[in-house]
Amino acid sequence: MGRMTTRQKTEERIALLQGTLDLLILRTLLLGPCHGQGVARSIQRQSEDVLFVDHGSLYLALQRLEDKKWISAKWGTSENNRKARFYSLTPKGREQLLEKTSEWERLTRAMGLILRGSAGSSEV
Amino acid sequence: MFRRKRRAEDFAEEIKAHLDLEAEDLKHEGLSVDEARRQARAEFGSVQTAQERFYLKNRIGWFENLLRDLRYGLRGLWHNPGFTAVAVITLGLAIGANASIFSLFDQALLRTLPVKDPGQLVVLSFAGDTDGHTHSYGGNPPGHRHEFSYPMYRDLREKNTVFSGLIAAAPSQAGLTWNNHAESVSAEMVSGNYFETLGVRPAEGRLFDANDETAEGANPVAVLSFDYWKTHLDEAPVVGHAVLVNGTTFTITGVAAPGFHSMVWGRTPDVFVPITMQRVVEPEWTYLKDHDSYFIDLMGRLRPGVTRVQAQSALNLLFLSLRRSEFALLHDQSANARKGYIDEAHLNLEPGGGGFSPMRGDVRTPLLIMMGMVLLVVSMAIVNVASLLLVRAASRVREFSIRYSLGATGGQILRQLLAEGALLGVAGAAIGLLLAPRALQLLIHWMHGSSPDEPVFSSTLDWHVLLFTIAATFIASLLFSLAPAVQFWNPRLADALKQNTGTGIGGSLKFRRTCVALQVGFSLLLIVGAGLFVRTIQNLRNVNAGFATDHLLSFDLSPAMAGYPLPDVAPVEQRVLDAIAVLPGVRGAGATNDADLAGDNRTGDVKVSGYTPKPNEDFDVELPWVSDNYLQTLGVPLAAGRYFAPSDTATSTRVAIVNQSFAQHFFGSVGAALGQHVSRPGRPETDATIVGVVRDVKHTTVRDPAMPTCYVLFVQSAKVGGLKYYVRTWQSPDSAVNSIRAAVAQIDPKLVVGEVSTMTDAIDDSILEERTIALLATVFGVLATILAGIGLYGILAYSTTQRTREIGIRMALGAHRGTVIGMIVRDVMVLAGAAVGVTIPLAIVGSRLVRSELFGISFADPAVYGMGILVIGAVAALASLIPAQRSASVNPVDALRAE
Repeated sequence: MGRMTTRQKTEERIALLQGTLDLLILRTLLLGPCHGQGVARSIQRQSEDVLFVDHGSLYLALQRLEDKKWISAKWGTSENNRKARFYSLTPKGREQLLEKTSEWERLTRAMGLILRGSAGSSEV
Repeated sequence: MFRRKRRAEDFAEEIKAHLDLEAEDLKHEGLSVDEARRQARAEFGSVQTAQERFYLKNRIGWFENLLRDLRYGLRGLWHNPGFTAVAVITLGLAIGANASIFSLFDQALLRTLPVKDPGQLVVLSFAGDTDGHTHSYGGNPPGHRHEFSYPMYRDLREKNTVFSGLIAAAPSQAGLTWNNHAESVSAEMVSGNYFETLGVRPAEGRLFDANDETAEGANPVAVLSFDYWKTHLDEAPVVGHAVLVNGTTFTITGVAAPGFHSMVWGRTPDVFVPITMQRVVEPEWTYLKDHDSYFIDLMGRLRPGVTRVQAQSALNLLFLSLRRSEFALLHDQSANARKGYIDEAHLNLEPGGGGFSPMRGDVRTPLLIMMGMVLLVVSMAIVNVASLLLVRAASRVREFSIRYSLGATGGQILRQLLAEGALLGVAGAAIGLLLAPRALQLLIHWMHGSSPDEPVFSSTLDWHVLLFTIAATFIASLLFSLAPAVQFWNPRLADALKQNTGTGIGGSLKFRRTCVALQVGFSLLLIVGAGLFVRTIQNLRNVNAGFATDHLLSFDLSPAMAGYPLPDVAPVEQRVLDAIAVLPGVRGAGATNDADLAGDNRTGDVKVSGYTPKPNEDFDVELPWVSDNYLQTLGVPLAAGRYFAPSDTATSTRVAIVNQSFAQHFFGSVGAALGQHVSRPGRPETDATIVGVVRDVKHTTVRDPAMPTCYVLFVQSAKVGGLKYYVRTWQSPDSAVNSIRAAVAQIDPKLVVGEVSTMTDAIDDSILEERTIALLATVFGVLATILAGIGLYGILAYSTTQRTREIGIRMALGAHRGTVIGMIVRDVMVLAGAAVGVTIPLAIVGSRLVRSELFGISFADPAVYGMGILVIGAVAALASLIPAQRSASVNPVDALRAE
C-alpha cells in the first residue's frame, strides 16, 4: 500500500468530497425540488452542523450533476418571493442515488469491520 | 444532441440569489440587514473563485482532466521503474524496427518521384516482337518491354498530341576525369527535355533543354547530380568548367536539385549527358540510328485534361503506324513475323508517379517479407506490454475499487488506463524514432554492399514514416491499454474489496493464457522464418559454382573510359592481361565482357551448322566474349577438344568453345560438337569453329542453373567494350590488389581500375537480398525470443504468486517441491504445446508464401521447425521454472497465513 500515501494529498481527497457531496445532494433532492441555498442549509442541519458545505463547491457539484442529467434545473420563485434556481431529481438521478447509497453502505460496513478491529488485520 | 452550455452570467445570478436567500434567513434569525448580508457573503467564501471555477470547468475541464490523468499515470510509471523500462524498451525496439523497415518499404514501393506533379507522369512499355539488340536491366513482365529505340522515341515525341513532354533515359558507366583525377562513374544519357518535363530545378547553373539534343555528337555538355557534386567535388564551382567523359571534353552546365536522382527509381547517376552523345559514352554501339537497338526507357507527362486511357488509345494508333513502317524494312516479311511485329503489338501507359524501375520487382518480395516480419514483432510487443500491464493492473484491483467507490465512473478509470498506455506508447515511439535512423543507416550500409554507386535508399525519416509511426503507436497503445481496461470496466467492486485473495478477476485467467499462447506463437513464427532464411544463405554460399571461387579477384576496366578509340581497345586490354599474368603471386589472369555470378547476361540467338531449328524456335544462348586464358583462370573443366590458346589471335581462324548444355541441345552429345560451326543469324562474318566443350558452370547467379553457352574470343570480335578481369592468386587475394593497380598504371595512368573485389565478396553481393532477409530474420527472431522470455516470465511470475495459497495447501498436504514445480511447468508446457500446435500450420502456410526466396531447403523443413519448437519450448520452460521454484520454496504455513 506504499503507493497510496503519495496520492492522498490532492486528487483523492477531492474525489472523496465529490463522491460524498454528490450523494448528499441527491439525497436532499429526494425530498423535493430545492434551490442551492436550501440544499446547503438542509445538509448542514441534517448532519447536526458536522458537515460544512463549501458553497462554491456546492454550486459546481450541482452544475456537474446537471451536466450528467442526474438533476434538472429551472428558475422559479422561493417561498418568500425571491428569484432562485430550483433543482429536482431526474429518474436517472433517482437510480444513481439508490446505487450510490448501497455502494456507500457496503463501503462503510467494510470500513467499519476493519476499523472496529477484526482478528487478522492487526497482525499486518 | 448538443445541449446549450449554461452561460457564466446565469451562474453569477444564481450566486447572487443564494446570497439574498441566505441574508433573508439570517435576518429571520435576528441579525441586522447589513450584518446578515456580510455574514452570508463570508459564509459563501470567495464568490469570484466560484465563478472562476465555473468558467474553468466549462472551458478547460477536459484539458485539466487529461493533465491530471497524465500526471497520475506518470507518477505510477515512475514508481515502477522496472516495469516501465521493460515496457518502454520493448515498444521502442518494436517501433524503431517498424519505422526503419517501413521507411525502406515506403521509399521503394510507395513514394513518388521528387518531381513536379508526379501524378501526371506515365511509364511507356510495349508488347510485340523485337529484332536486333535489346539492352535491358530487367523489370519487364510479359507484354511490357520498357526499352525503346531512339528513332521510335523521336517519332513518338514529335507526332503525339497527348503529352506535354515525352522523355527518355538510358543508364551507362563512363570514365570521368576532373582535375586530372579519373574515375568510373554511373552516367545517365537523357533527352534534352528531361529535366524540364520532370520539373527538376538546377541547384547550380542550368540544366539541359531542347538545344542540348540537336544532332549526334553535337552536344558535349554535362549536368552533375547533387550528391556527386557534393561528395566527390566538394561543391567546387563547376559551371562552365570542362570535364573529360571517356576522354572527350564536356562542359558542365549545371548541377541538378538535391534529392533528385533519376526518372527511374533505383538509379543514382553521378552525371547526366545528352543522349546524342551516346557514341562517346558507349563507343561500341550505334544506338541512335538503329530502329532495332532497344535501350531507352520512356516516360511522358500527360497534357492537362488528358486521361491515361485516352492517351493510351491515341498513342497506340501512332505506335502501330510506326511499327508498320519499321516492319517494311525487316528481312523476314512472313505472315508469322508480321503477326508478332504488328498484330500483337501494342503500347501500354502505366501510372508513373513512382517512376519505372527494374529494381522494384526485385525488392518487392524481400520488402514484403521484412514488413511481415516486423509487423509480427510489433504484434509481439503489443501482446507483451498488454500482459505486463495486465499483471500490473491485477495488483491494482483494490486501488481501482476504491476509486469506484469514491465516485469515479468506468469512463474515468478507462481514461486513466488509456492515459497510462499513451504515456508508454509515446515514450516507446520516442525511443523508436531515435533508434530508427541509426538502424536504417546500418541496414542501408549493409545492403549497399561493396557497390561504388550512391545508395538508393536514404536514412532520413520523412513525414510518411512519422505519420505511419504515429498511427502505429496510437493503435498499439490503444490495444495494449484496453487489455487491462476490459477487466476493470465493471469489476464487482465490493467483491474485490471483500476477497482477500485479490483475484476478483475471473476473466483474466483466459486472457493470461491467450497472452502466453500468442507470445509462443508469434516468436515461433519468427524463429522458423529466421531458421529458413539462415539455411538459405548457407546453401547459397556453399553452392558449387562448378569452379573454385576462392583466391579469385575481379575488377572492371574499360579503356573507352580513358578515351581509347575503338580499334585500340582490344590491344590495350590484351596488354593489361599480359602484364598481370606475370605478376608475382598470380597464377593466371583472364577477362570477359559477361561478369560471372553478378546477375549479368549477354544473350542472343545463334545459327548452328547441321541443326535445323524447330518451327518458331527462338532459342537464346549465353554469348560471352572472353580472353584466351579466361576458362583456365576460372578453372572451368574441359570435357572435349581444347581451350583457347595464345595462338588464337585477331587474324587467325575464328574459334568458339561451347558448354555441355549447348552441345547437348544442338548436337545431342559432347563429342559431336567439335568441328561444327556457329554464327549469329544474318551475320556470316561471325562464323566460328567449335574447338572445345567445357562443363556447365553457374554463371548468372549461384541460384540459376547454367544456360547453354558459347564462348568466343574478344580479340576476334568486332566491337569490344569494357571487360571484367579475373585474377587467380596463390596467396590471399588482397595482397595482389596493389601490384595489379601498379601494373595497370604503368601501361597507362589514365586507365581506370574499378573496385577490386574477391569472388567470394561478389557472390555475397549477388545474394544480398537473401542475406538482408536472413540478417533481419535473425535479429527479429532473437528479439522475439527475448520478448517471449520476458513476457512469459512476467505472466507466470504473477500467476504463480496468485496460486501461493493453493500451493501452500498442496504442500501442507504432503506434496513435494518437485511435484509442485512439475505441476506449474507442466501447465505452461501444455499451453505452449497447444500454441505450437496451432502455429505450425500457420508457419507452413506463411513459409510457402515466401518459398521463392528460399534456396536448397523446403518451406516445411522438419529440422528448422524442430529447432524452432525446441527453442521456444526451452524459453517457456525456463520462464516457468524460476517462478515455480520460488513458489515451491515458500513455507506452507507462511503461504497460508500471508492472506
